[in-house]
Amino acid sequence: MLMCRDLARIASDYIDDELGVGKVMSVKMHLLMCGRCRSFIGNLRASIELMSAHSGQQVNEELVRRIDERISESLRTRDAGNIKPE
Amino acid sequence: METTAYQPEEEVLVDNLKSGNQKAFREAVRSYTPGMLAVARFYLDHASAEETVQDCWVSVIDAIQTFEGRASLKTWLHRIVANRAKNHLRKNKREISTDFSETLDPELAERFAPNGRWAKPPSLKSNESAEALMENGALSKCLDHHLSRLPETQRSALMLYEAHQHKSEDVCNILDVSASNLRVLLHRARQKIFLMVETFRETGEC
Repeated sequence: MLMCRDLARIASDYIDDELGVGKVMSVKMHLLMCGRCRSFIGNLRASIELMSAHSGQQVNEELVRRIDERISESLRTRDAGNIKPE
Repeated sequence: METTAYQPEEEVLVDNLKSGNQKAFREAVRSYTPGMLAVARFYLDHASAEETVQDCWVSVIDAIQTFEGRASLKTWLHRIVANRAKNHLRKNKREISTDFSETLDPELAERFAPNGRWAKPPSLKSNESAEALMENGALSKCLDHHLSRLPETQRSALMLYEAHQHKSEDVCNILDVSASNLRVLLHRARQKIFLMVETFRETGEC
């Protein structure tokens, strides 16, 4: 029988639909009977959605500036090399 | 999850990159650098990761000519960074050590009784949407703080899968981990975020 701790171990696999049919049935049966695990799954799902909603795109302005400078310099060098003398 | 196929809207950007358009490079650097850094940080310390991403962008000036659109530009860039970072690791003879044997976070594991039932169950029911939660600026800052404290391997896996919306197989290829190990990394990271959100909603503290 699936215990709460077992369910907590495979909760992400259940949420991401990565479990086999038998395991999914065990989880569903357990969730029917266990409000605590329903709460855990609900909160874990909310945390995952929170991560997805979080931009994760915070730009390190200083790094971006350094990269822009290096690219400009490389493009200039390359373009200068491509100009053929008349 | 998005597909890895070449996105039509990327065509214009890629064409402009191929012609060496500086504005296009600025746009691409701003869009793709956070994800590239997440990949590099899986393998390298902060300073080496930043250096690798910079070198990568310089190499892209020429390499973009070989981009054929078999994968999205994002996936292509992430693979380049991963290869460079792995080479850097090999040169420095470093190895990444990660424990993939336990899927349960130690802090969460302590909340179960010896019989496997909850001793300290989740305290709050989820009744707020992620968008509503994110409107709480303090929670958003707290999330940043906790993300920065995650082990690099977990953070990179989480960022690529959740925030940058890569498919599992792409994350496995980029980070060079097996599908089962990726599952462990994701689950461990998600539990940390779960614990953080729970504490924050319970106490208002980060």
